[in-house]
Amino acid sequence: MSDFTSDELLAEYLKVQAQTRRQFVGWGAGGLGALFMNSAMAAPAAPHAVPASLNFARDPATPLSVLPPQFGAKVKRVIYLHMGGSPSQLDLFDYKPVLKRFHGHDCPQSFLQGKRFAFIQGVPKLLGPMFPFHQAGKSGAWISDRLPHLEKQVDDLCIIKSMKTDQFNHAPAQLLVHTGDPRLGHASLGSWITYGLGSENQNLPGFIVLISNGGTTANAGKPLWGSGFLPSVYQGVPCRSAGEPVLYLQNPQGVTRPERRQVLDAVDEINRENFKEFGNPETVTRIAQYEMAFRMQLEASDAMDIKKEPAKVLESYGAEPGKTSYANNCLVARRLAERGVRFIQLYHWGWDSHGTPVDEGVNVGLVKRCKETDQPTAALLADLKQRGLLEDTLVIWGGEFGRTPMWENRGGQEMEFIGRDHHPSCFTLFMAGGGIKHGISHGETDEMGYSIVRDPVEVRDLHATMLYLLGFDYHKLSYPYQGLDQKLTGVKPARIVSEILA
Amino acid sequence: MSDFGPGRLSAAAYFGCVALLTALGLGVAAWAHPAFLHSSLQTMGLEAVPHAAPGSFYVTRIAPLFDARCLGCHDDTRAKGQLRLDSFAAAMRGGRDGPVIEPGNPKGSELFRRISLPSSDDRAMPPSGKTPLTADEVTVIKLWIASGASGELRTIKGAPRPVVEVKIPESDLAAVQKQRAPLAAALKQLQARYPGVIIYESRNSADLEVDASLRGAAFGDGDLAALLPLAARIVRADLSGTTITDAAAPTLVAMTSLTRLRLAHTKITDKTLVALVGLKSLKSVSVVETKVSDDALAPLRQHGVATYGGGNE
Repeated sequence: MSDFTSDELLAEYLKVQAQTRRQFVGWGAGGLGALFMNSAMAAPAAPHAVPASLNFARDPATPLSVLPPQFGAKVKRVIYLHMGGSPSQLDLFDYKPVLKRFHGHDCPQSFLQGKRFAFIQGVPKLLGPMFPFHQAGKSGAWISDRLPHLEKQVDDLCIIKSMKTDQFNHAPAQLLVHTGDPRLGHASLGSWITYGLGSENQNLPGFIVLISNGGTTANAGKPLWGSGFLPSVYQGVPCRSAGEPVLYLQNPQGVTRPERRQVLDAVDEINRENFKEFGNPETVTRIAQYEMAFRMQLEASDAMDIKKEPAKVLESYGAEPGKTSYANNCLVARRLAERGVRFIQLYHWGWDSHGTPVDEGVNVGLVKRCKETDQPTAALLADLKQRGLLEDTLVIWGGEFGRTPMWENRGGQEMEFIGRDHHPSCFTLFMAGGGIKHGISHGETDEMGYSIVRDPVEVRDLHATMLYLLGFDYHKLSYPYQGLDQKLTGVKPARIVSEILA
Repeated sequence: MSDFGPGRLSAAAYFGCVALLTALGLGVAAWAHPAFLHSSLQTMGLEAVPHAAPGSFYVTRIAPLFDARCLGCHDDTRAKGQLRLDSFAAAMRGGRDGPVIEPGNPKGSELFRRISLPSSDDRAMPPSGKTPLTADEVTVIKLWIASGASGELRTIKGAPRPVVEVKIPESDLAAVQKQRAPLAAALKQLQARYPGVIIYESRNSADLEVDASLRGAAFGDGDLAALLPLAARIVRADLSGTTITDAAAPTLVAMTSLTRLRLAHTKITDKTLVALVGLKSLKSVSVVETKVSDDALAPLRQHGVATYGGGNE
């Protein structure tokens, strides 16, 4: 009947099974379609026929190899300082003297009509700024007295006071900020950017995640640095700033590096055979990942080792080797930036100032978070600037939404401690680094800090602007998935915020 | 014949009646829809068609605003309320109820009244559900009407700055290929020798970027000298942490398009820095953790180059 042995038949069966319908249809279009097109359309393609997406094809053995940006980029890398839980813009950057005057009054009906809040019910009281504000730097930006270190860098900041989102719960709002979509399954910022540009240092992941904990944990969890529909090699790699930087990276006790090499060679061979048989590119990715892990054994420990920094530098950040802290992570971030890591993502949790326990109060929890982050953030900016790295680095600081100008009244009750509810209508975020104006504030909220009155910036606008600074048209950095050219900015129109570009 | 048959009119009386009825109809139409009258007169050449001058405030600021925010309903195909805003003449003619712009009087202008109503009002424009005009957009229209709704005036004092949209540079890949061609072979060879060290600055450019910092001690003067054939195309170079010395100066000086140079943590001294003053495109130099003195950096700074490190570290 057939010339196949049963083993070969099985292999053939598995191969066919491994091919998806979409791949098959794709081949049909590429194969037969291309044959037809070649004969029918011998004429050269029209000059305007620019492909919708750029070509990001790479040798699957080096998925992180560097590709040039689409056009001249202003920055080469990003350090994203995410303040999980969302800091209160009204107590740090967005000064509202009128709100202060109406502190303790009933919230006007117009603020409440037709609105839903995460926890506020009935008629809450207005809550004025909790801390004294003053103007700082040559730019005269308003800043609260909780950020005395950052204040010294204020002229390097581009403060956007008119950020808005459409999500009022942490997890979806964080997903929106980090993946461009409130639902699970989309690729994160760092994944998109390492996919587009690769990473200069082949001995470290191109996208590194550093987490410090201010009391609570990530609401949206690991999908915040997931690769979504992009190949898994572009996902963020969480590293620890105390102990082994990457868990299970080092060889187990009694296993030497040459022995490890031998094991890897054997595993690689099996993987290569598997690839020959099924042709799944994820297999080559896996080989590449094993190899990178092997190289990382040497490089990662060095990059993370802040003990190598002079005492003066440690002191400026407030870093203490051996601890897990935001300060340590900021210093590590600078070391990674120097080593050619493309996207460095920091998370510091615990900004969710509801005031339900006293520790989450605007007057207690927020103050602590400021103490933990103010000096390191300022030191990072100063350090990058002093080394000339701020010229081609983009630093972003912000949460996932804002906080209400109303005193939270959970369950309609007056609360014992001072808190603010989630407020998607406006929040403050700042950027610093190459390609953007510094010493400016962009956008404006009304006198009560309730809604944006000037230059609203959607999250997708921020993303489009980031990609522009990195040298990409947000339409062109796309990936085919489920029949769509997926983009970081999604399908709604985005706008590059030209007003903040230098 | 009978007097009771179908009535008979003389030809003159007949045409007279038709003319009268037509005139009456046109008169009623013109009275009810003045825009129609002006439009007809303008079409027939009986009335001058107002035009906005190129470069006028109308052309640069008002027309793009109408275009982006109003033409969905007020163009030649839909013309809701018989109002068209797709030309200066049409905008000045107005709609079903007459002119919507009263030059010099924003408050008396229907157009301005409608765009300044709260979005909850039934008569507000753009109608409920559409994005309202921004405060700046309303101000621009108000100022234009207040200053006479002119098609000539070029600038209006106090007008908010226009919104600039970023234009992504169009890529002309054929032209880029042509620019790249002369050095392509040499580049390919050097890229094979130094993987990851030299790449094109962008997909749209023949300029090059060099980053040898990750090769560290494995990259020295000889390696840098090997890049000499490409030197004129190199716009950014990061040589931090490499073993280059002052012997690298001739190659660096040959990088005539260089904008950013990083020499941090190298054995470079003042000698090299002095030579760099001739690089006209240079914007920034880093000599962090080197022996370079501040004196050697001063001339560069005088040429507007940002310097990092040096001297007083």
